[in-house]
Amino acid sequence: MQIKVLLVDDEKDFVETLAQRLEMRNFDVKTALDGDEALGLIRESDVDVIVLDVLMPGKDGIQTLKEIKELKPLITVIMLTGNATVNTAIEGMKLGAYDYLMKPTETESLVEKIMSAHKIKAEHEERIRQAEIKDLLKRRGW
Amino acid sequence: MNKCAEKEVAFFGKITAGITHELKNVLAIIRESSGLMGDIMSISPEAIIKYQEKIQNSMVRIKDQIERGVGLTDRLNKFAHSTDETIAKIDLQETIEQLITLAQRFARLKHVVLKTVPLNQKGPPVTLVTRHIQLQMALFASLECCLNVMSAGGEINIGIRKTKEKNAVHVVCKGDLPVQSEFARNISESEKWPVLQEIAACLEGSANLDETEHGIVLCFPEEIGR
Repeated sequence: MQIKVLLVDDEKDFVETLAQRLEMRNFDVKTALDGDEALGLIRESDVDVIVLDVLMPGKDGIQTLKEIKELKPLITVIMLTGNATVNTAIEGMKLGAYDYLMKPTETESLVEKIMSAHKIKAEHEERIRQAEIKDLLKRRGW
Repeated sequence: MNKCAEKEVAFFGKITAGITHELKNVLAIIRESSGLMGDIMSISPEAIIKYQEKIQNSMVRIKDQIERGVGLTDRLNKFAHSTDETIAKIDLQETIEQLITLAQRFARLKHVVLKTVPLNQKGPPVTLVTRHIQLQMALFASLECCLNVMSAGGEINIGIRKTKEKNAVHVVCKGDLPVQSEFARNISESEKWPVLQEIAACLEGSANLDETEHGIVLCFPEEIGR
């Protein structure tokens, strides 16, 4: 099954090219140029991992992250940052982001992070499924 | 370090951080575009023909980003050289254009567009003998005052209006704005307004709220006292 990735960055050429490179590595990629567009896509489609730029026009990365976590808490988020905004990325991790990467990033490092972020999400979902099954069996007295 | 020098350092830091952030984006796009070409070439020799359009698009992107990077480094280099002489003869229009390029990113983060207005008359360029770095600080502070009170989708036009008596720089805001009096009050209450006043005074000039348009009028003497 393909991992569904959403890239959020205001640099159109950057997200479009990175999306093509990830698609060539068999990821299912969507792109958004700002926080609001990203939230719209999350509402209407399934996303496993989000790569989110910290500094964007309009709604910044931290605010977008908070809203993502309210909307779909299980989605894993990797913050993308320049040197100057590392503190913001760390703040993001305190708010539930999985990890951060420095820009410009090595694609292979990003791919590795996306895979690990997806693994975390999949394991979390599996634990929830197991807990639900256990609860169902208990309620039915099995 | 005195207060003025501290402000100059802070200004330098802010502008440099903004431009280097832009340069990182330029490099990130070049890296991804060349990486994409590498990905295609590593598939098979035939893939180059199959993905010819992607390769051509990547080459265009790289070319565009190199031009963008050259433009940014050129502006950053000129900016760095503005400290070469404390007081120098400068071209005011060129300084405005330079500052707008450097400040574009800060405006873009607020979804506001910055534009220069061409000189309203022909003739020799408007020159000032002044403290170049502080002049840029004054222009930047006036932009910050406006950006702090503007909403997304706006535009700021900066241009010189030359009269016999003075050289005035008009910073005019457009877009979804409150009535002129309320807008002026918002600017005068913004935290950057006293900063702008202080810098304008250092330059023996003035910064006033525009009485007829949404914006600020900056006036500077042709030659600052040494």
